[in-house]
Amino acid sequence: MKPRFNIISLTSCTGCISTLISLDIFPQFLERIKINYFLFILDSDDIEECEIALVEGCISEETQINLIRKIRKRAKRVFALGTCACFGGILSLSNSKKAEPLSNHIEIDGMIPGCPPPSKFFGNCLINLVGNKDIILSEKNMCANCPLRGSIEINSHIKITKINPNPEEIRLGEENSECFLNNGILCLGPITRDGCEHKCIKMGLPCEGCMGPVSKDFTSNVVNFLSLIELSQELQKYTGIYNRFSKPKINR
Amino acid sequence: MQKIVNVCTRVEGHGEVKIMLQNDEVSLANFEFNVYRGFEKFLIGKRLLDIPKFVSRICGLCYASQAIASCKTLEDIYNIEISEQSIYLRRLLMTAELIKSHSMNFFFQTLPDLLKIFNISKNTLSPYELIKFNPQLTSNLYDLIKFGNEINEIFGGRSVHLISIVPGGVIYSPSGKLILLSQKYLQKALTIVEWIIEDFIKLFGNQIPPEDFNLPNTICLAKNNHGIYDRYSGSLSLKEDKNLIEFEAQNYTRYFNKEINLRGIDFFFENKKNVIVGPFSRYKIIEKYDFDKINTYLEYFNKSWTNNLLFINFLRLLEIYIESYKCIQILGEPSLNVRKYLPSFKSIKKNEGIGVIEAPRGTLIHNYHINKNNIIDEIKLFIATEFNIPLLNQMITKYAQELFDKTGDIKLVEKEVQMIIRAFDPCISCATH
Repeated sequence: MKPRFNIISLTSCTGCISTLISLDIFPQFLERIKINYFLFILDSDDIEECEIALVEGCISEETQINLIRKIRKRAKRVFALGTCACFGGILSLSNSKKAEPLSNHIEIDGMIPGCPPPSKFFGNCLINLVGNKDIILSEKNMCANCPLRGSIEINSHIKITKINPNPEEIRLGEENSECFLNNGILCLGPITRDGCEHKCIKMGLPCEGCMGPVSKDFTSNVVNFLSLIELSQELQKYTGIYNRFSKPKINR
Repeated sequence: MQKIVNVCTRVEGHGEVKIMLQNDEVSLANFEFNVYRGFEKFLIGKRLLDIPKFVSRICGLCYASQAIASCKTLEDIYNIEISEQSIYLRRLLMTAELIKSHSMNFFFQTLPDLLKIFNISKNTLSPYELIKFNPQLTSNLYDLIKFGNEINEIFGGRSVHLISIVPGGVIYSPSGKLILLSQKYLQKALTIVEWIIEDFIKLFGNQIPPEDFNLPNTICLAKNNHGIYDRYSGSLSLKEDKNLIEFEAQNYTRYFNKEINLRGIDFFFENKKNVIVGPFSRYKIIEKYDFDKINTYLEYFNKSWTNNLLFINFLRLLEIYIESYKCIQILGEPSLNVRKYLPSFKSIKKNEGIGVIEAPRGTLIHNYHINKNNIIDEIKLFIATEFNIPLLNQMITKYAQELFDKTGDIKLVEKEVQMIIRAFDPCISCATH
């Protein structure tokens, strides 16, 4: 029997869903599963029982808490799809809105992180899910396979003055051989999970951490990391760093 | 008064239709959203050069449009002109986004409605049934989505929230081999979309669209370049019947504006007509595309079509054709092969900037204001779907009133009004920014 899927969006940009539909393997994926609920492409009345629920987006509204519990109840396995569902996502920048990951309210069986999840990785995750296997995430950080890897040692001698290179300073491929941290540019690679094929770094920009932490909590990892290095006065209070993809978990 | 709420299906994001029944009559039908994310609020105080990366996350379908409109706004504040190469690359990324967006809307969302409206299928076909209905059309549309996606991956670094779009231009890295591959993708896209256009003409060209879908008298708003189809450069135009007003984006407040934190756009027209943006307005304002072949295709559709909401489906296909063709030319430009460094963003020249482009769903305007300390203190985002909402609500109210009057079946009304909503191709993620 084909596995039944529910694919649901909470508060999101729909970017993970549009990436899913754009995947090379999406037509084959559709053939091998039965879609029960997927409002983007299908008329569906209610969330029925399924083997797998893929949920994109964060929880920003009270009503979504009941919804996510219902999704959990009716699915054998639930997976958080994308950075918002895994960690809270971009809405974490807001002071007035909640941006909670699914795991704040339900138990999840795995996650497919990334903003959006990188296509190859996403495709492999779907193949695993259809085959009733788990999603395997790398246990390494971004630096382990970084094309700019040098002998970077995180310590207070690293002085960070920028969170991005200025446009005129962006260097590509062979032009760019030195670790961003050595150049005073904040790269979250040391605390971010490997798996995105270093797409930003190859484009001359530092890692902004969308794949999430290798372990533990997102924001506390960022705070711990930044406490090891010297951060310019201007950047110390900049929420654009601390809350870019997750709020601190103060209630848990 | 009785309120009936129904979740909209086959649209981007989460939207609901609310129908008000009073004395056994429909008094109002509204398309509404429950979530409001507040980008205009939480981006205040953020570093100017970070804004494009943040606003891209407003929408996973209009990501390139949002980021590019934002970059244009910053370039206005810093008075920076970007290179010809960067303009080519931005156009390319916008086209790839449009191919994906229009194809997804056509195949998954509106084609099942068209087939049902014209009695070609009895039921609304699911993606599984569409494959059986027309396997070639299905595989062609999947290919179009894939080509758009691949070009975004090659020139943007990933499928959505493109890495290469930064203030000052586009970070450029593709090799000659990847440029050739992209050309092949677009040439295939051109062949495929031509086939789909001809299939559309065969299926619907001889039909007369239902009058319920006729657009009321509206005011069209779109960007254009001296009367030529252009989603990146040019000025804005408003057109009502034959009257055309052309104006620079800086003067938009003469015609419309918005209150921050309140939803909706206020228009300052005396006649209270609603505004429409998107492929329909782009077509009405330029009157003729600069492609003989496209104008020949248009001749298959008589007046009963050209003022009908369902015609927008056809216009979307034509836009895929036009832009694929133009991007094949761009990929052959010699200036594309030179690695250029991006300009420097050293001194702020103005305390306000405006960036306008045409997103796949219509006019998109970003307007940022900065204070004495060069900190961003006001952001206004004018989103295509926000422009269209009053007209959409006007149309669904009329449709719901007439259908309920005729049938008395509210369940039917709830389902059928959604066909009008889908024909507008609303982007709820953008609208709930």
